[in-house]
Amino acid sequence: MSRAIGVMLLVVAASVLGACNPYLTAQSAAPPGRVARLDPVDGFWSIKSYKVELSVGVALAVTCAEGGPCHDLTVVSDDPAIATVRPASLGTLQPSGIASQATASAVVIVGKAPGTTRLRLRSREGTRDIRVTIVAPPAVRPVLIGAKDPA
Amino acid sequence: MRHLLLFSLVPALAAGCAMGGAMRQATLVGQCAADDVACSRRHPQAPIALGTRFHPDVAAEVAGTTTPTLRLESAAPEILAVEDGVLVARQPGASAVLISTDDGSVIDFVHVWVAPVTRVTLARRDGDRIGGAIGLAVGEDITIVPTLWNGAQRLSGDGDATWAVTSDTTVSVLRDGSSDRRRLRARAPGKTTLTVAPAGLTASVDIEVVP
Repeated sequence: MSRAIGVMLLVVAASVLGACNPYLTAQSAAPPGRVARLDPVDGFWSIKSYKVELSVGVALAVTCAEGGPCHDLTVVSDDPAIATVRPASLGTLQPSGIASQATASAVVIVGKAPGTTRLRLRSREGTRDIRVTIVAPPAVRPVLIGAKDPA
Repeated sequence: MRHLLLFSLVPALAAGCAMGGAMRQATLVGQCAADDVACSRRHPQAPIALGTRFHPDVAAEVAGTTTPTLRLESAAPEILAVEDGVLVARQPGASAVLISTDDGSVIDFVHVWVAPVTRVTLARRDGDRIGGAIGLAVGEDITIVPTLWNGAQRLSGDGDATWAVTSDTTVSVLRDGSSDRRRLRARAPGKTTLTVAPAGLTASVDIEVVP
């Protein structure tokens, strides 16, 4: 009986600890014909990680929060040749704690070249791994002046 | 928790007015005089013509502060380069232009498109399209601006165009300080043809000068 209670406590502790990691939210839209999206990867109890899909040359603004904007936010790319991350200043207030507000904590992710890499997010509120896939933009069909469409 | 956070963000975002940047904090427009309706650099929403340059005017509107010192950076320099604050269209496609402060913190970004030029038309300085021959009296002036198109879409940016007239004794082609437009002065009675060649294409118009 006491062993079962111990297991339950472990499970509850794990879920509570897991829930303490910060949450990410996309703050910008994809341009037409391009991809820019942030999606959570759900685990059994909570969000396990995040994944980002971006087109080459496209940027995506993302905020970080857990009970309030993240403190001491840093995000490092495993391969800056594929995706880079820049700190961002988003001049909006977000709820912080029960009755306070603070300036949003944000970064901008930029797609540089097709491929897959990982971003390592660190903050006082916890850590997140973000799997990033950068896709090539659609090919631009050249327009021939005076030529008839073969179709 | 996630939904609570999302709902709390909606009013904050809705409070910001619609501006040019994706983060709603900065704008990127062309450098044009207030009364220059034909200015090709006036159309920041239009794609930039391939091979041309776009001279942006960047401003930020962040509550509680004047505009900080800003700089531009391209996400894809092979498509759209930034040279001394000028956007240079190098190949068709799209690239985010990051607007950041001196310390590299991004305050906004704008996705800018580059498109090939398929057609060139000529217009007067007031934007009125020139659809036929022009008649001038000796001593009269007219300012001509080439307009670049991709299909039915007007493009922005200005490039190095070649200007030529078949008879320069009839009409003089004068610079007026702008890189993309010229002032024509009727000098003597006669007929001539003006040919303008920007971005590898040409547009012509017949001009008749009367006493």
